[in-house]
Amino acid sequence: MANILEVKNLKVSFRTTGGTLKAVRDISFALERGKTLAIVGESGSGKSVTSRSILGILAGNAIVDGGEILYDGKDLLKISEEEMCKIRGDRISMVFQDPLSSLNPIVKIGRQITEAMLLKNKGNRRRARKAFNNTLAELRKNMIAANPSRETEITEMTKTFDKAAISALKMETAYTTAYSYADEVHETAGDIVFLLEKDQKVNMKLELKELAKKLQKVKNRFLTQGLDGELSGLVSETTELRREYVQAGRNTVSLKQKAIALLTKIGDFTGRLEAEEKPDFLSVGYHNYKHPEQSLDGMSVEQINEKTVKSMNEEYMKQFLTYAESGLKYSHDAALAKKKEVLSEMAAARKFYEGEYTKSSARSYGKKLASMVEASIDPLEVVKDSYAYTFRSSLLHAIDQYFYFVKHNPKEEARFARQTKKREALIAKGKTVDWKVVPKRVLDLDELHQEVSKTVVTIDERYTRYVAEDTNGNAAERSRELVEWFRGQASEAVYRVSKSMAKEKAIKLMKEVGIPEPRIRFNQYPFEFSGGMRQRIVIAIALAADPDILICDEPTTALDVTIQAQILELINKLKAERHLSVIFITHDLGVVANMADDIAVMYAGKIVEYGTADDVFYNPRHPYTWALLSSMPDLDTKEKLDAIPGTPPNMIYPPEGDAFAARNKYAMQIDYEEEPPQFAVSDTHWAATWLLHPDAPKVEIPKAISERIERMKRKNESAEQA
Amino acid sequence: MGDEKKEVLLKVDHLTQCFKMGKGELKAVDDVSFEVHKGEVFGLVGESGCGKTTTGRSILKIYDITGGSIYFKGQRICAGTRTYRDAIREARKELKTCTDASRQAELAKIIEDNKAEIEKARYDHKMCDKVYAKKLVQETEERYAKLIAAAKTPEEQSKLRKELAKERRIASKTRLITQIQMIFQDPIASLDPRMTVREIIAEGMIINGIRDQKYIDEKVYEILEKVGLVREHAGRYPHEFSGGQRQRIGIARSVVMRPEMIIADEPVSALDVSVQAQVINLLNDLREELDLTIMFIAHDLSVVKYFSDRIGVMYFGKMVEMTTSDELFAHPLHPYTKSLLSAIPLPDPRSEKKRTRIVYNALAEHDYSEDKPSLREIVPGHFVHCNNAEEAKYREELGL
Repeated sequence: MANILEVKNLKVSFRTTGGTLKAVRDISFALERGKTLAIVGESGSGKSVTSRSILGILAGNAIVDGGEILYDGKDLLKISEEEMCKIRGDRISMVFQDPLSSLNPIVKIGRQITEAMLLKNKGNRRRARKAFNNTLAELRKNMIAANPSRETEITEMTKTFDKAAISALKMETAYTTAYSYADEVHETAGDIVFLLEKDQKVNMKLELKELAKKLQKVKNRFLTQGLDGELSGLVSETTELRREYVQAGRNTVSLKQKAIALLTKIGDFTGRLEAEEKPDFLSVGYHNYKHPEQSLDGMSVEQINEKTVKSMNEEYMKQFLTYAESGLKYSHDAALAKKKEVLSEMAAARKFYEGEYTKSSARSYGKKLASMVEASIDPLEVVKDSYAYTFRSSLLHAIDQYFYFVKHNPKEEARFARQTKKREALIAKGKTVDWKVVPKRVLDLDELHQEVSKTVVTIDERYTRYVAEDTNGNAAERSRELVEWFRGQASEAVYRVSKSMAKEKAIKLMKEVGIPEPRIRFNQYPFEFSGGMRQRIVIAIALAADPDILICDEPTTALDVTIQAQILELINKLKAERHLSVIFITHDLGVVANMADDIAVMYAGKIVEYGTADDVFYNPRHPYTWALLSSMPDLDTKEKLDAIPGTPPNMIYPPEGDAFAARNKYAMQIDYEEEPPQFAVSDTHWAATWLLHPDAPKVEIPKAISERIERMKRKNESAEQA
Repeated sequence: MGDEKKEVLLKVDHLTQCFKMGKGELKAVDDVSFEVHKGEVFGLVGESGCGKTTTGRSILKIYDITGGSIYFKGQRICAGTRTYRDAIREARKELKTCTDASRQAELAKIIEDNKAEIEKARYDHKMCDKVYAKKLVQETEERYAKLIAAAKTPEEQSKLRKELAKERRIASKTRLITQIQMIFQDPIASLDPRMTVREIIAEGMIINGIRDQKYIDEKVYEILEKVGLVREHAGRYPHEFSGGQRQRIGIARSVVMRPEMIIADEPVSALDVSVQAQVINLLNDLREELDLTIMFIAHDLSVVKYFSDRIGVMYFGKMVEMTTSDELFAHPLHPYTKSLLSAIPLPDPRSEKKRTRIVYNALAEHDYSEDKPSLREIVPGHFVHCNNAEEAKYREELGL
C-alpha cells in the first residue's frame, strides 16, 4: 500500500530562556493509507510536537531544524501558509488532548460542528470544479494534439462528457439526500417504537411533526419510483395521527397502539427503500443529454440501468476511452522528452552544485533548473511525483540555509567564546554563577553544502530510473483511472451542503459519537457538557470535515473505560468506513493494542523502538518498552509494580549517549558514551539499544513481562481451540 | 468471608445527595449504602458523572448531604433530614383525611418522633467535631490527673500541668473530620500556587493548633522523605515540580495529619503510565507503614483491581454491585458490571482484536415497572442491585 504521509529526519527545537530545547531529534516514520500508527511515550518525549509539526501549528518559539514531511507530493514544512490552510483541518485533522481549551466557549456546539462542513463544502466545490475543468481542457488539448484531424469530434465529445457528468451528479445529489432522509426516518421510527414499548415519555406531537416533514423529503424520482402513492398515504396518516394526539391532549393506550402500528409500517417502508438498487447516474445523465426525446418515465430502476448503460457504452465510452488513451500517451511522451532534456542538463548541474558558487548565481541557476523540472511533470498524471513537485522549494531552501550558516556560524562561535570567558572569569573570582552558557548552534557547512547537491542528485537518480523503467505510460489502465477521477471531482463539484443538511449531518455525527438527545444538545454551549461529552464533540468536529488523516493526541486520557472503549471503537469503525489513516498518540500501551497496526515508542525526542503491534507487544526489545509495559498493572498482576525511577532528562542539555541510560537498569558503559544505532530485529521491527549488539551480554526480558506474554499466548491458544 | 470480624471504620447509610438545578433537582447520589473496614482498600468505580466523587466529597462534609447518614468510628458525622421530612409530610397528609382516633394519635406520634430525629440529625451534623473534641479533652485530663497525682515534687507537677495545658489545647481543637483526608485528582489545581511546599503541608497542623515551628518543620521533612521527595523541596513552589512530584506533595499533605482514612479521588488518572506506577507503589507502601484505610475512586479498572480489596460499582448515582475484587472479576453479575469489564483495554493485540464489548442499556435490560429493586446480598459479601426475578436469575448463574 502507498504511504500517505512520510516523515523524514524531522528535527524540532524550541528557543527558551534557558537555551535551545531539543524536543524532536531526528525521527522518521511512514504512515500507510488506511492504517493506524501509534506513537507511545511519556509526556515530554516529543509526541505532541511531532504531530503539531505535521499540522504546522508549533508554538512561536519553535524552530524546525531539518527534515521533511511529505503529504500528497508536498513537503508540509516548506509549503506556504495559504496552501497549508487547505490541508490543515480539512485533509489532516486533529483531536486535541484538552477538550476544554479546544472548544470556543461563546459559540454554540452546533455552530462549531457545522462551521467546518459549510466552509469546506464551499471551498471544495470551487476547487473540484476548477480541477475538473482544467484537467478536461488539458486532456482535450492532448487528445487533439494526438489526433489533429479529429478536432471537432473531440471537442464535442469532451463537452458531452462534461454535461453528462454534471447532470448525472445533480441527480445523484438529489438521490443521496432523499436516501439519507429515508435512513433517518427508519432509525427514528425504530427508536420511538422502542421507547413506546418500554413506556417511556415521548413528546409524540413534536416527533410526529418532524417525522411527517422528513417523510415528505424522501420523495425522489429514482428512490420512490412507483411508490409515491404509498409514501403520500403514510405522510397523511402521520399528520392525521398527530391531529388526534393534539385533540386528545394526552397519551392514551389506544393512541399508543395506533402509533406503534403506524411507525412499524413506516420503518418497513423505508427499510424496503434502502434495499432498492441504485441507478448508474453517469449513464442516465448521458442519456438525458444525448436523447432528451426518449423519456425514461415509468421505467423501473433496473430497466433504466440496462438501457442507459448499454447505450452509453456502445455510443460513447469506447470511443472516448480510445481517444483518452491516445491523449494520455501523447502527454506522457511529451513529458518524457522534457525529462530527458532535464537529464541532459543534470551533469552540468551536478558539477555546478558540487563546486563553489555565490548565492545569487546558485539561486538563479536553481530557478532555471526548477522551471525545467516543473515543465517535465505530466499534467495528466493523477498521482504526481512528490520530488519533482517540491524540487523548487527544497533546492532554494537548502541554498538559503547554507548561506545563512556561512554567515551565522562565526557569530555563534564568537558568542559562545565570549560567554564562556565571562563565566569562567566570574568563577575564578569566586562568585557563584547561577546561569549556564547556552550551547552553540553551529551546523557543519560541508554537510549543508552536500544537502544542496543532494537535492539535484535525487531528482537526477529518480529521472534516470524513470526513463529506464518506462512502461510506455500504461495508457489503457490510466484512461480508465482518469474517468473515475473525473467522476470523483464532478461529484464534489455539485455536492452542495445546505445549512439544514449540515445540521442533520451534525446531529447524526453527534449520535454516532454517543451524545444522547443530540437535537437538544445541538443548541447548547460547551460549558453545559461534561468532560467526556466535550471530548466527543471535539472528535465529531474533527470528523465533520471527512479528513484523510486523523491525528488523535491523547483523545481518551481524560475519559473512563466505557467511554474510552466507545471512542476507540468509533475511531476504528470510521477508519474502516472512510479509509482513514490515523496517528494515535498516547502514553497508555493498553489503549493501542487493538487500534494500532504499527507502534513507535518515543523517548527524549527519538523513536527507540518501532514495529507492528504484535512485534512490540509480544517481543519487546528496548528496555524502555519493557519499563512501560511492566509499569501498568493488568488484571492478573499481584506483585509490586516495576515503576521507572526518576524523570525524563532535561532536553536543553541532552545527555551523552543513550538518553534513557540514567533510568535504565540494564545500562552498560557504552550507553553513557555513544548513541545506539537502530538494530533490526525483523523486517518490520527495530530497536535502538546496545543490548541488541552481537557483543552485548545476554539480557532476558523482565520476568513480569515474559510471564504476562506467556499467559496471553496461552489464553489466545485456548480461545482458538474453543 | 470472615468480614464480620473486621472493625467497621466508615459506614455510609442510605446516602442521598441532591443538587439544586434551576427549578428541579439533580439526584447525584441516590440511596447508597456501604461499609469500609479498617485497613482495607475500598475501590469505587463507575463512569464519569455517576456520583463517585460526590460520594467521596459528601463523606468529607464538603457538601451538606440531603438524606441518610454517615458514621465514622461509630460517631455520626453527617446526617441528612430529607427522609424524616418526607415521613412527616406523608403523615400530615394522611392526618387531614383520617377520622380514626387511634390512627390519629399514631400519626401524631410519628410526626413528633421524626421531628426529634431531625433535631438530633442537625445536632450531630453540626456538633460532631465538638463532641469528639470534648471526649478527647476529657480523656487527656483523666490521663494527666493520674500522672499529676503520681508525681512527687512540685516542679514535676507544674511541668506536667504545663504539658497538660498544651495537650488540652490541641485536643480541644482536634476535629474528627481531620481523621479523613482527601487526595485530589488534579495535582495542579489542588495546590495553591502562592504557597511553598512547606506551607502547603504544614497548613493542616497550624489550623489544628500546633505552634511549635521546629516540630512542624521536623514533621514536614519527615513526610517529604516518606513520599520520595527531599528536604530541599520544602522551600519551592508547586510550579517547579513535575506532575508526579506534585501528586506526591498532595499525598504528603493528606498523610501529615496521620489520618486513619484517605479518600483518593482519581489520584493517578492525570499522570503518565510510568509515574502512575510510582504513585501506586507509594500509596501501597504508605498504606502498610501508616496502617491506612483507603477509599480509592477511579475509572481505570486494572488499577482498581490491582489496588483494592473490595470494589463497589456505581451507575447513575446507585450502587449496582459490591463485592471483593477477585469475586467481582471472576463472577460479575450485574449487566453494567459486565459491560464495564468488557471494556478494559489489555496490552494483547490478538485477543483485543477479538474482544466484543457488551453494551449496557438500562432501559432494555431491566423491567422495574412492578417489582422494585434494591441492593441484595446474593452470596455472603456479594451485593447486587436487583429485584426478585433478577435475584433468582443471578443465583442460578452462580449455580446456587
